[in-house]
Amino acid sequence: MSNELNDRLRAALRPVDPGESFTQGVLARIASEPARVPAAAHRAMRMLELRWLSGALLAVVATGFLVAHQWRAQHAQQGQEARRQVIEALRVTSQKLDLAYRIVKDKEHSGA
Amino acid sequence: MTGWFAVASANIAAAATPGALQLPNFDAIASKAAQTVDISLDTSLLGIAAGFMDSSKPDDAAVKEIIAGLKGVYVRSYTFNGDFQYPETDIDSVRKQLSAPGWQRLVAVHNSPDHSNVDIYICMVQGRASGLAIIASHPREFTIVNIVGSVDLQKLHQLQGKFGIPQMQLPDDKAAGNK
Repeated sequence: MSNELNDRLRAALRPVDPGESFTQGVLARIASEPARVPAAAHRAMRMLELRWLSGALLAVVATGFLVAHQWRAQHAQQGQEARRQVIEALRVTSQKLDLAYRIVKDKEHSGA
Repeated sequence: MTGWFAVASANIAAAATPGALQLPNFDAIASKAAQTVDISLDTSLLGIAAGFMDSSKPDDAAVKEIIAGLKGVYVRSYTFNGDFQYPETDIDSVRKQLSAPGWQRLVAVHNSPDHSNVDIYICMVQGRASGLAIIASHPREFTIVNIVGSVDLQKLHQLQGKFGIPQMQLPDDKAAGNK
Protein backbone atom coordinates (compact mmCIF):
# COMPACT_ATOMS: atom_id res chain seq x y z
CA MET A 1 0.00 0.00 0.00
CA SER A 2 2.69 2.38 0.98
CA ASN A 3 4.72 1.46 -2.08
CA GLU A 4 1.73 2.08 -4.31
CA LEU A 5 1.11 5.48 -2.81
CA ASN A 6 4.74 6.26 -3.12
CA ASP A 7 4.77 5.31 -6.79
CA ARG A 8 1.65 7.38 -7.52
CA LEU A 9 3.10 10.39 -5.83
CA ARG A 10 6.37 10.05 -7.73
CA ALA A 11 4.42 9.79 -10.96
CA ALA A 12 2.35 12.88 -10.17
CA LEU A 13 5.33 14.92 -9.13
CA ARG A 14 7.67 13.87 -11.88
CA PRO A 15 9.44 16.72 -13.67
CA VAL A 16 7.59 17.66 -16.84
CA ASP A 17 8.96 19.95 -19.53
CA PRO A 18 6.49 22.95 -19.84
CA GLY A 19 7.38 23.42 -23.49
CA GLU A 20 9.06 26.17 -25.52
CA SER A 21 5.92 28.36 -25.73
CA PHE A 22 5.74 28.67 -21.93
CA THR A 23 9.37 29.80 -21.70
CA GLN A 24 8.89 32.34 -24.48
CA GLY A 25 5.70 33.64 -22.84
CA VAL A 26 7.47 34.20 -19.52
CA LEU A 27 10.40 35.90 -21.19
CA ALA A 28 8.10 38.16 -23.23
CA ARG A 29 6.16 39.17 -20.12
CA ILE A 30 9.37 40.03 -18.25
CA ALA A 31 10.52 42.15 -21.15
CA SER A 32 7.20 44.04 -21.46
CA GLU A 33 6.85 44.93 -17.76
CA PRO A 34 8.66 48.08 -16.63
CA ALA A 35 11.45 47.56 -14.23
CA ARG A 36 10.13 48.06 -10.77
CA VAL A 37 12.12 50.47 -8.63
CA PRO A 38 12.00 49.83 -4.96
CA ALA A 39 9.93 52.41 -3.04
CA ALA A 40 12.90 53.66 -1.00
CA ALA A 41 14.97 54.27 -4.14
CA HIS A 42 11.98 56.06 -5.73
CA ARG A 43 11.68 58.40 -2.73
CA ALA A 44 15.38 59.13 -2.83
CA MET A 45 15.13 60.03 -6.51
CA ARG A 46 12.17 62.38 -5.85
CA MET A 47 14.10 64.06 -3.07
CA LEU A 48 17.07 64.51 -5.36
CA GLU A 49 14.82 66.06 -8.03
CA LEU A 50 13.24 68.43 -5.51
CA ARG A 51 16.65 69.47 -4.21
CA TRP A 52 17.88 70.14 -7.71
CA LEU A 53 14.75 72.16 -8.54
CA SER A 54 14.93 74.25 -5.37
CA GLY A 55 18.65 74.83 -5.97
CA ALA A 56 17.97 75.98 -9.52
CA LEU A 57 15.14 78.23 -8.33
CA LEU A 58 17.38 79.74 -5.66
CA ALA A 59 20.11 80.35 -8.24
CA VAL A 60 17.62 82.09 -10.57
CA VAL A 61 16.29 84.31 -7.75
CA ALA A 62 19.83 85.14 -6.55
CA THR A 63 20.92 86.00 -10.11
CA GLY A 64 17.84 88.20 -10.49
CA PHE A 65 18.63 90.07 -7.29
CA LEU A 66 22.27 90.48 -8.32
CA VAL A 67 21.37 91.81 -11.77
CA ALA A 68 18.78 94.21 -10.28
CA HIS A 69 21.29 95.39 -7.68
CA GLN A 70 23.99 95.95 -10.31
CA TRP A 71 21.56 97.80 -12.59
CA ARG A 72 20.47 100.04 -9.69
CA ALA A 73 24.08 100.73 -8.71
CA GLN A 74 25.04 101.50 -12.32
CA HIS A 75 21.98 103.76 -12.77
CA ALA A 76 22.81 105.61 -9.54
CA GLN A 77 26.43 106.05 -10.63
CA GLN A 78 25.33 107.34 -14.05
CA GLY A 79 22.84 109.70 -12.42
CA GLN A 80 25.38 111.11 -9.97
CA GLU A 81 27.88 111.58 -12.80
CA ALA A 82 25.25 113.35 -14.96
CA ARG A 83 24.35 115.56 -11.97
CA ARG A 84 28.03 116.44 -11.44
CA GLN A 85 28.43 117.26 -15.14
CA VAL A 86 25.34 119.51 -15.16
CA ILE A 87 26.70 121.49 -12.21
CA GLU A 88 30.17 121.68 -13.79
CA ALA A 89 28.66 122.88 -17.10
CA LEU A 90 26.62 125.57 -15.32
CA ARG A 91 29.72 126.60 -13.36
CA VAL A 92 31.79 127.02 -16.55
CA THR A 93 28.92 128.88 -18.28
CA SER A 94 28.45 131.21 -15.35
CA GLN A 95 32.20 131.81 -15.11
CA LYS A 96 32.39 132.88 -18.75
CA LEU A 97 29.31 135.12 -18.48
CA ASP A 98 30.93 136.71 -15.47
CA LEU A 99 34.20 137.19 -17.39
CA ALA A 100 32.30 138.95 -20.22
CA TYR A 101 30.56 141.19 -17.74
CA ARG A 102 33.82 142.07 -15.98
CA ILE A 103 35.53 143.01 -19.25
CA VAL A 104 32.57 145.22 -20.22
CA LYS A 105 32.60 146.79 -16.78
CA ASP A 106 36.37 147.43 -16.91
CA LYS A 107 35.99 149.08 -20.31
CA GLU A 108 33.20 151.29 -18.97
CA HIS A 109 35.41 152.35 -16.06
CA SER A 110 38.43 153.02 -18.26
CA GLY A 111 36.27 154.98 -20.72
CA ALA A 112 34.62 157.06 -18.02
CA MET B 1 30.58 100.29 -38.35
CA THR B 2 27.59 100.51 -36.01
CA GLY B 3 29.49 102.92 -33.74
CA TRP B 4 30.42 105.12 -36.67
CA PHE B 5 26.79 105.14 -37.84
CA ALA B 6 25.56 106.03 -34.35
CA VAL B 7 28.04 108.92 -34.06
CA ALA B 8 27.13 110.18 -37.55
CA SER B 9 23.40 109.96 -36.74
CA ALA B 10 23.92 111.83 -33.45
CA ASN B 11 25.86 114.58 -35.23
CA ILE B 12 23.17 114.94 -37.92
CA ALA B 13 20.48 115.05 -35.23
CA ALA B 14 22.45 117.62 -33.22
CA ALA B 15 23.04 119.80 -36.25
CA ALA B 16 19.36 119.64 -37.20
CA THR B 17 18.20 120.82 -33.76
CA PRO B 18 17.87 124.62 -33.57
CA GLY B 19 20.46 126.06 -31.22
CA ALA B 20 22.74 123.03 -31.48
CA LEU B 21 26.28 123.35 -32.79
CA GLN B 22 28.39 120.65 -34.35
CA LEU B 23 31.47 120.75 -32.16
CA PRO B 24 34.69 119.57 -33.80
CA ASN B 25 36.78 116.76 -32.41
CA PHE B 26 39.19 118.33 -29.95
CA ASP B 27 41.09 115.13 -29.09
CA ALA B 28 44.40 116.48 -30.44
CA ILE B 29 44.03 119.64 -28.34
CA ALA B 30 42.93 117.68 -25.30
CA SER B 31 46.15 115.67 -25.40
CA LYS B 32 48.17 118.90 -25.09
CA ALA B 33 45.97 120.49 -22.43
CA ALA B 34 46.86 120.60 -18.75
CA GLN B 35 43.19 120.65 -17.78
CA THR B 36 40.20 119.47 -19.78
CA VAL B 37 36.47 119.79 -19.32
CA ASP B 38 34.50 117.72 -21.81
CA ILE B 39 30.80 117.57 -21.09
CA SER B 40 28.12 116.24 -23.42
CA LEU B 41 24.67 115.91 -21.93
CA ASP B 42 21.77 115.08 -24.22
CA THR B 43 18.07 115.09 -23.30
CA SER B 44 18.16 111.62 -21.76
CA LEU B 45 21.22 112.34 -19.60
CA LEU B 46 19.72 115.67 -18.50
CA GLY B 47 16.59 113.73 -17.53
CA ILE B 48 18.67 111.27 -15.51
CA ALA B 49 20.55 114.16 -13.84
CA ALA B 50 17.24 115.84 -12.99
CA GLY B 51 16.14 112.60 -11.34
CA PHE B 52 19.11 112.86 -9.00
CA MET B 53 18.31 116.43 -7.95
CA ASP B 54 16.51 116.68 -4.64
CA SER B 55 13.55 119.01 -5.17
CA SER B 56 13.27 119.60 -1.42
CA LYS B 57 16.68 121.33 -1.47
CA PRO B 58 16.49 124.88 -2.89
CA ASP B 59 19.83 124.62 -4.77
CA ASP B 60 18.93 121.35 -6.44
CA ALA B 61 15.43 122.61 -7.21
CA ALA B 62 16.91 125.67 -8.95
CA VAL B 63 19.20 123.52 -11.14
CA LYS B 64 16.32 121.18 -11.88
CA GLU B 65 14.22 124.12 -13.03
CA ILE B 66 16.99 125.36 -15.33
CA ILE B 67 17.62 122.01 -17.00
CA ALA B 68 13.92 121.23 -17.36
CA GLY B 69 13.70 123.23 -20.58
CA LEU B 70 17.03 122.11 -22.01
CA LYS B 71 17.68 119.61 -24.80
CA GLY B 72 21.43 119.46 -24.49
CA VAL B 73 24.45 120.91 -22.71
CA TYR B 74 27.88 120.71 -24.33
CA VAL B 75 31.05 122.16 -22.84
CA ARG B 76 34.60 121.93 -24.12
CA SER B 77 37.18 123.76 -22.06
CA TYR B 78 40.95 123.36 -22.28
CA THR B 79 43.64 124.98 -20.16
CA PHE B 80 47.28 124.93 -21.28
CA ASN B 81 50.61 125.48 -19.59
CA GLY B 82 51.87 127.64 -22.45
CA ASP B 83 50.42 130.45 -24.55
CA PHE B 84 48.41 129.83 -27.75
CA GLN B 85 48.84 126.07 -27.91
CA TYR B 86 45.52 125.59 -29.65
CA PRO B 87 44.76 126.17 -33.35
CA GLU B 88 42.40 129.07 -34.05
CA THR B 89 40.94 127.11 -36.98
CA ASP B 90 38.99 124.86 -34.63
CA ILE B 91 37.38 127.88 -32.98
CA ASP B 92 36.74 129.46 -36.38
CA SER B 93 34.82 126.37 -37.53
CA VAL B 94 32.44 126.90 -34.61
CA ARG B 95 32.23 130.65 -35.29
CA LYS B 96 31.17 129.93 -38.89
CA GLN B 97 28.20 127.93 -37.62
CA LEU B 98 27.16 130.93 -35.55
CA SER B 99 26.76 133.03 -38.69
CA ALA B 100 23.79 130.84 -39.68
CA PRO B 101 20.28 132.37 -39.57
CA GLY B 102 18.78 132.41 -36.12
CA TRP B 103 22.01 133.06 -34.26
CA GLN B 104 22.56 136.56 -32.90
CA ARG B 105 25.64 137.87 -31.18
CA LEU B 106 24.67 139.31 -27.82
CA VAL B 107 28.10 140.27 -26.55
CA ALA B 108 31.56 140.43 -28.10
CA VAL B 109 34.19 141.58 -25.64
CA HIS B 110 37.90 141.72 -26.30
CA ASN B 111 40.30 142.68 -23.60
CA SER B 112 43.61 143.76 -25.11
CA PRO B 113 45.89 143.64 -22.06
CA ASP B 114 45.37 139.96 -21.30
CA HIS B 115 44.09 138.91 -24.76
CA SER B 116 40.78 137.67 -23.32
CA ASN B 117 37.89 137.34 -25.75
CA VAL B 118 34.35 136.36 -24.94
CA ASP B 119 31.60 136.10 -27.51
CA ILE B 120 28.07 135.26 -26.46
CA TYR B 121 25.51 134.20 -29.03
CA ILE B 122 21.87 133.35 -28.71
CA CYS B 123 19.72 131.40 -31.14
CA MET B 124 16.25 132.80 -31.56
CA VAL B 125 13.49 130.71 -33.13
CA GLN B 126 10.07 132.34 -33.44
CA GLY B 127 10.97 134.93 -30.85
CA ARG B 128 12.15 132.40 -28.30
CA ALA B 129 15.69 131.61 -27.19
CA SER B 130 16.43 128.05 -28.27
CA GLY B 131 20.17 127.99 -27.80
CA LEU B 132 23.13 129.71 -26.25
CA ALA B 133 26.75 129.62 -27.34
CA ILE B 134 29.75 131.05 -25.56
CA ILE B 135 33.22 131.16 -27.06
CA ALA B 136 35.81 132.34 -24.60
CA SER B 137 39.48 132.40 -25.42
CA HIS B 138 42.57 133.39 -23.55
CA PRO B 139 46.23 132.70 -24.45
CA ARG B 140 46.24 129.68 -22.14
CA GLU B 141 42.61 128.65 -22.30
CA PHE B 142 39.69 128.28 -24.60
CA THR B 143 36.14 127.33 -23.84
CA ILE B 144 33.11 126.59 -25.94
CA VAL B 145 29.70 126.25 -24.32
CA ASN B 146 26.59 125.26 -26.21
CA ILE B 147 23.31 125.04 -24.36
CA VAL B 148 20.42 123.77 -26.48
CA GLY B 149 16.84 124.51 -25.50
CA SER B 150 15.07 127.36 -23.80
CA VAL B 151 17.82 129.12 -21.87
CA ASP B 152 16.91 131.46 -19.08
CA LEU B 153 19.94 133.54 -18.13
CA GLN B 154 18.01 135.03 -15.22
CA LYS B 155 17.55 131.56 -13.72
CA LEU B 156 21.21 130.82 -14.32
CA HIS B 157 22.02 134.04 -12.56
CA GLN B 158 20.03 132.82 -9.54
CA LEU B 159 22.49 129.93 -9.18
CA GLN B 160 25.40 132.22 -8.39
CA GLY B 161 27.24 131.31 -5.24
CA LYS B 162 25.85 127.76 -5.28
CA PHE B 163 27.76 124.58 -6.22
CA GLY B 164 30.92 126.65 -6.79
CA ILE B 165 29.21 128.84 -9.41
CA PRO B 166 30.85 132.25 -9.24
CA GLN B 167 29.08 135.28 -7.85
CA MET B 168 28.23 137.48 -10.83
CA GLN B 169 28.19 141.20 -10.24
CA LEU B 170 25.42 142.05 -12.68
CA PRO B 171 23.84 145.53 -12.68
CA ASP B 172 20.70 144.16 -11.00
CA ASP B 173 22.76 143.01 -8.01
CA LYS B 174 24.37 146.40 -7.70
CA ALA B 175 20.99 148.07 -7.79
CA ALA B 176 19.63 145.60 -5.26
CA GLY B 177 22.66 146.18 -3.04
CA ASN B 178 22.09 149.94 -3.09
CA LYS B 179 18.49 149.63 -1.99
